[in-house]
Order: sequence, then structure tokens, then C-alpha cells
Amino acid sequence: MIDYTKYKLKPADELKSLLKETSDVFILWCKKCYKAFEKEEESECQKFIQMFDEPEKIKGCEAIDFLCNRYLTEKKLAEIIGLDHHDIGVLSCGLGIQTVAEIAENKGVRVFTLADTIPQSGNATSVTGYHGMALGSEKCASCGQCYLTITAGLCPIVGCAKSLLNGPCGGAKNEKCEVLPEKSCVWIEIFKRIKKQGRNFDTGIQIRDNNVFTTDEKRKVSFFSIRRRTENFYGGLHPSENKDITENLTIEKFPAPKYVYIFLSQHTGSPSSLLVKEGDVVKLGQTIGKSSGLISSPVHSSVSGRVIGVEEKFHPTLLVNCPVVIIENDFSDEKDASICGYVEWEKMEDEALVEIIRDKGIVGLGGAMFPTHVKLRKPKNPIDTLMINGCECEPYLNADNRLMIECTEEIIEGIKIARKILSVDNVIIGIENNKQEAIEKIGKAIERYPWIILKKLNTKYPQGAERMLIKTTTGRQVPEGGLPLDVGVVVLNVGTVFSIYQAIVHGFPLIKRVITVSGSFEKKGNFEIPIGTPLKDILDFCGGEKAYDTENYYLKMGGPMMGVVQGEFDTAVVKGTTGYVLLEKNPAGTSEENTCIKCGRCVDVCPMELYPLYYAFYGKNQLWEKCAEYKVKNCIECGCCEYICSSKISLISLIKKAKKNAYNKA
Amino acid sequence: MLITKLKSQQELDRYFDKRVFIFKCYGCSEIYFPEEEVNKLIKEKNEKITGLVEIDYLCNEDFAKKYIEKNTDEIQNAKGIIVFSCGVGVQVVAKIFEKSMVVPGCDTFYLNGFQGLTVLDCDCNQCGQCYLNYTGGVCPITSCAKSLLNGPCGGAKNRKCEVNPEIDCGWILIYERLKKINKESILKEKNYFVRDFEKIIKGI
Repeated sequence: MIDYTKYKLKPADELKSLLKETSDVFILWCKKCYKAFEKEEESECQKFIQMFDEPEKIKGCEAIDFLCNRYLTEKKLAEIIGLDHHDIGVLSCGLGIQTVAEIAENKGVRVFTLADTIPQSGNATSVTGYHGMALGSEKCASCGQCYLTITAGLCPIVGCAKSLLNGPCGGAKNEKCEVLPEKSCVWIEIFKRIKKQGRNFDTGIQIRDNNVFTTDEKRKVSFFSIRRRTENFYGGLHPSENKDITENLTIEKFPAPKYVYIFLSQHTGSPSSLLVKEGDVVKLGQTIGKSSGLISSPVHSSVSGRVIGVEEKFHPTLLVNCPVVIIENDFSDEKDASICGYVEWEKMEDEALVEIIRDKGIVGLGGAMFPTHVKLRKPKNPIDTLMINGCECEPYLNADNRLMIECTEEIIEGIKIARKILSVDNVIIGIENNKQEAIEKIGKAIERYPWIILKKLNTKYPQGAERMLIKTTTGRQVPEGGLPLDVGVVVLNVGTVFSIYQAIVHGFPLIKRVITVSGSFEKKGNFEIPIGTPLKDILDFCGGEKAYDTENYYLKMGGPMMGVVQGEFDTAVVKGTTGYVLLEKNPAGTSEENTCIKCGRCVDVCPMELYPLYYAFYGKNQLWEKCAEYKVKNCIECGCCEYICSSKISLISLIKKAKKNAYNKA
Repeated sequence: MLITKLKSQQELDRYFDKRVFIFKCYGCSEIYFPEEEVNKLIKEKNEKITGLVEIDYLCNEDFAKKYIEKNTDEIQNAKGIIVFSCGVGVQVVAKIFEKSMVVPGCDTFYLNGFQGLTVLDCDCNQCGQCYLNYTGGVCPITSCAKSLLNGPCGGAKNRKCEVNPEIDCGWILIYERLKKINKESILKEKNYFVRDFEKIIKGI
């Protein structure tokens, strides 16, 4: 592995003459990138301080990772530049220095360059070639007119010291280059390889056109990349959507299951307490577990029948064994007496409506399963906006999308109920622009209600996360460790709004939901499914035999990004199940063992502005306090870092471990 | 930073005259990769393709080998291998299949700020002898079309470069930046630089 040292201190006498003009200087140094991340840090700054004979001039120093990341650097510099330091000295490659100089420009701060950049590739005359992501020895000078077809995959531009394109210069001795005798002549290697392929080198003269890709074209591409990277919110990415698989399939009723497994814990907070025992006869919609605390929610029977036992089964999201009520379906669908709706809800008290929402067990259906009644209780902070989340930014999933298309009116009615409870004026619906049909339907339906604003958002993952959605639609930044309430916003998923409507107007508790089944299933689609339907029923009905082939496939509950891998199939649908995707395993899967190369991609895509590479590094070394220092608790586990990781480090599992361990001791 | 662009249709048609195996790398897709065009091409030429590997970070030889293992049969059935990736990926595959014809489906270009993070407006030429101290943090090598080190060429019109009228004159930017920090005098003091190319060749 090449050690990609990026910069080197300037010579001592140059530094001395440079810094004699200044009386106090603050040192910023970059921790370098593209190198095997094995040691904690190599402080170029220490070297500088030791070398510098006027230490009283140095007012402080700070390391900033990836100094060239303008957005994050600007945030960090805001504190430093504001102080009384007259000058800033930067130890970094040219990119970092230019970034700092640009930021400091308007403050009248002088920026000193204390290091020289070590020439790398991209500069065709450089010996060290471009590394790609893998820090191997392969090289590419990005010449824009690939000759590798002719030269059997060995690049003459970076391989030959003279960048010759038509054959060797003739100066090689013992197969070694005459310019750099330690290097083999690449043209000799090219000929050897061509021979192995049984070909002859018979192509004519090659001419290198150094202006093959015009500056304008480059700018266009560069602009496109920048726009995509930075629009709406910092970080995030654009995974393949694969939504077209189930996009146009109408919601189908899933066949009633013979047994249902109702987990007592289907929400964030304390599990509900059991109300039934073995042998009890229950009706459809009967409460079988009542809420047991402030942040808790009751659960209901999704079928009518007899309780045949209370057992422990593997919970699909908590990933431990949890108590579950098993009910045998008698297929009579006899409704419980509690199911009665209030069509005239507009005349009801807000408190009473919230009470109903609590009793009907409504929780956030986007996946987090946070009890909705807690969000709707009059909060201390004033609320001015109700945000309806129809982003569904996860690839493959279409449950919310179909719901918006097929149950538009019900959703609008649900929005009206939530709006009355919160007594807010503004309602914003955010829908990503890959759901054109839903946008049209909702757009038409809200014409009557001028207070609902529909926002079409450019697709970007994880836009459906509360913080990112708020940032995109209102420009407000939820404070670190805070809630949407802190900026006066309540966010509800479209599925949640729909179930609020069902609960109030029809009296139905949350006993069924829409899920998407996609990926390598035989039968793909969107299904309305009773809560508690065993996973095995879904695998049987949708032809998911491949799920048992755990060598080559894996089954995720939820989408491919944030979904939870299901290793145990004796489980069931819970309220937060947005879908099941069956995916083929990558031959080169993620592992905790791989070494980070500090490419910085994870920092680039983290929407929470964290530095995931440190969770990998400290996680492997079990230095959990360090993870806490890098604010691991702020992570929303969106999976962007793991997706983009060029070393395929299983960052999410390390982050989960870090979260568990980092805060226990304190 | 590298970006890739599909080769000309004419050239690509020539590659598809026999049965081929395809490598498609989307490792830097968050940067720029002509994904749609490649997908369209693959669809068009479907019957000529014996198999397809979609991979991220093809440049990592270890990962690439694992994918190849899984597709040995398809690769053996093919008469050629086309790689849609930057030049690094092509070279990795070519190294593994020394005895087969491996051809690139894309041309690779250089984009500003390649070694750092987000695609930036500023660029570093890695000259090995940083001048930014004297130019207010605007690099004359990358922002001046002529890479002049001692001041403007005098050809700028309305602030714009005479070589590429789309860009601002780098030296005007430098002057303005220095003015903001009240250091225009630097331009008078340090007026003689020599660029030492040996630093580049030797890697300092």
C-alpha cells in the first residue's frame, strides 16, 4: 500500500523568514488523506513547533480533518477566525490552504502556507501514480483518450517516463528505463503482454490531444456534481432507486394469516403490558396490551380468534427475544365493540382526539415507531408547521407512494385532524420528485386547501429523515441533540396520517399497514397486511425461498439502506415494517477487518456532519470514549457511510457497538 | 478527482463485434459516472453480452477478484472484456486477465480537486513549492491559464482571461485577495519566482 503523504513542511529558513512578519499565528493542520489509517495521528504540527524557534508566536493549533471540505471547515473556522489571532498558518496540501484562504478572505486574515504539497499523480510528470481508491500501484493520468485498448491495459502515459505513445524510445537497458533506472520499461512490458494475448502491436501513430475535453464540458460536469452533492442538505447520496419494480402495482390485500404473532413491543419506549392469557377469545381490534408509561403505546389483535399462547420470539428490529401473543385466526373477523368512528371529529376536543390516537396504538409508520400521541400533545415550544413526510427516500420501497396515490382523500382528512390538534396554520407535504403520480394526485386534492403546501423535492437519500426534510423544506436546522419541536415543526409520515384518519373516523386501531415486498422475491408488490403476520407466510406467499439461502442472499426488513437484516425467520410484521427486500449478497461484502484508507468519502456523505472513519478506527481498537468524543450519539444510522465506503468497512455495526459502549461508563 | 465519459459510439460498436463480458464500476458515482448512458448501451447490446459485473471500487484488486471468481464461466465464454470505469479500473482488470483483450469503455478526465473531498473550485497542481504565501491563497499555477508566476500577462479584458474568456484572470483575483488583507505590497517585494520541475519529477 502506498503511503500517500500529501504535504511536507517547508524548509526551516524559509519558514523563519516567512513568519518574521507576524506576531501571533494560529496553526491549522490537516490530518492528511489517502493513506492507510493505522496509527492515531502523525503530527506534522509537532514537528513544526519543535522546529520553530519563536514558540511564543504560536497562539494555538488545531487539527481539522479534510481541510479541503469547505462546508465543514467553514463551520469549524467560524470559532477560530473570530478570535483575536491576526494570522493563520496552514499545514496542508494546496487544496486545504486555498480553502482556508477563501474562507478567511473577508475577515482580513492573512493565511500563511507552511507546507509544500508533494507532487502526486494527475500531474503526469509525477512518479507516484494516481491510486484510485485502493492505493494500489495502478495509475491513470486522466488524459481523456484512453489508449489501454492498444496497449493491453498498461498505461504508457504514466508508465513511460517520457509518456511515449508509439513505442519505446530505444534507450532501455536490461529492460530498465534510461530516465529512472529502477523502473522497468513499460513498453517492454506492453509488448510482453500483447504477445501473451497472441496479438501484434500493429496500431499506427497515436497523437495526444491535450484539449480533448474542453474546459466548458468539464465545468458542466463539475457543476452537475457539485449541485447534486450539495443541494437541499449537506451530505447524502443517490443510490440506485429500483422503485420501478413495484411502483405501479396497486395495493393488494394479503391473505388472512392462520396465526398472528403480536409483539408487545412495537414502539419506541416501554413495552405494553399484557391483558390476555392463553385460551382467551379475542376480537378484531381488541386491546391485548395496554400502554405502560408516558412514552408507550397499546397493541391490538389484528384478527379475531383465540389466544393460544404467549411466547418469546425474535424481534425483527430489537434483535432479541421479546414476548409475543400468538392468536389463532377464526376468520370470522368479528369486530371489537371499541371500533366506532367519529365522523364529526371537528366538534371534538383536541385532548379527546389525542386520547383516541393513543388508545388506538398509533405510532410513526416510517420505521422509527415513535408513539404519535406524544408528538401531538401540546408541546411547550410553539409549533408553527406540520410537516407531512412523503419522501420515502429508501430505494425499492413504494408503500407510502402507493398509499398517497390510492388513499389521497383519507390522507388529506388525516392531515386536517392532525392540524386541528396542533392548531397550526401551515402544513407542508414533502414528496420526492421520483413519485410523479403521487405528486399529481396530492396536488389535485390540496387545491381546495390553500394552507397545504406541496413541496416537490429533488431525490436524495436520506431526505426522508426528519432533520434533513426540515432543512430542505424550511431551511431550519434542528440543533444538535434536539428534536424537530425545537424549531417549531412536527413531522408525521403519510402512513401515520392515514392511520390517524382510520382511528378517528372509522375507529380502527393500528392493526394493518401497507408494506412493499421487492427484490429477489418471485411475487413482488405492495400489500395491505395485518400486523403480526408471520414472516414465513410472506416468504411462502411471495416466493421468497431464496431468503433461506443465507450464503448468497440476505433479507432486510425495511429498505436496503436502513433496513435490518433478518437472520431469524420465525418473526412477524410489526407496526414499523415498511417492507421486505431480498437482495443478493455482494461477493465482496462488508467487513470490520478491512483497513480504512482515509479517502474521506464517509465525511463527505454524512448528513449529520460526523466523521464516521473514526468510529471504524476507534471501534476496532475498542476506544469507545473516543467515539463519544466524535459524537457517535448524533448518528442516525442512515447507512450512507457504509454505502460509500471504499474499503467496505461495516461501519453501521461498529457505530451500533460504539453507541452501546460509549455512554455506559459515563 | 477523476471523471469518466463514454467513448464514441463508433469505437464502442467495434468492441461489441464479438461476445463480451462487462465490468461496470459505480464506485465514484457520487462524483460523476455516465451511468444512464452505460445502462442504455448495455440494454442495446444485450445479446452480445455473456455476463455483467456491477461493482463499486473496481480499482481495489481484492474486491474485483471476488466478483471475478463468481463469474468465471461467463468470463470464459466471452471473447473480450469491456470495462466501464476510470483508467485505474481498466488496468486492474487487465492485470488479472493478462491473456485476454481488456478494453476501456470510457475515457477518463481530470477534474479539479481530485485528491480531496467535494469537487472544489480550487485546484492544486502539486508543484512541490507552494506559492500561496505570496498570492493570498489563490494559486497562480491553476488559476492562470498560462501558469504565470510573476504577475499577469496583460492580456485580460474586463477581468477575463484572454485564453479562456469564461474564467476570471487569476492574477486579478490574487491582487484583489491581497488588497482585502492589505498586503498588496507583497507583489512588489517578491517578484521573481523560478519553478523547479525537478521537484515534481522526484516527488520532492
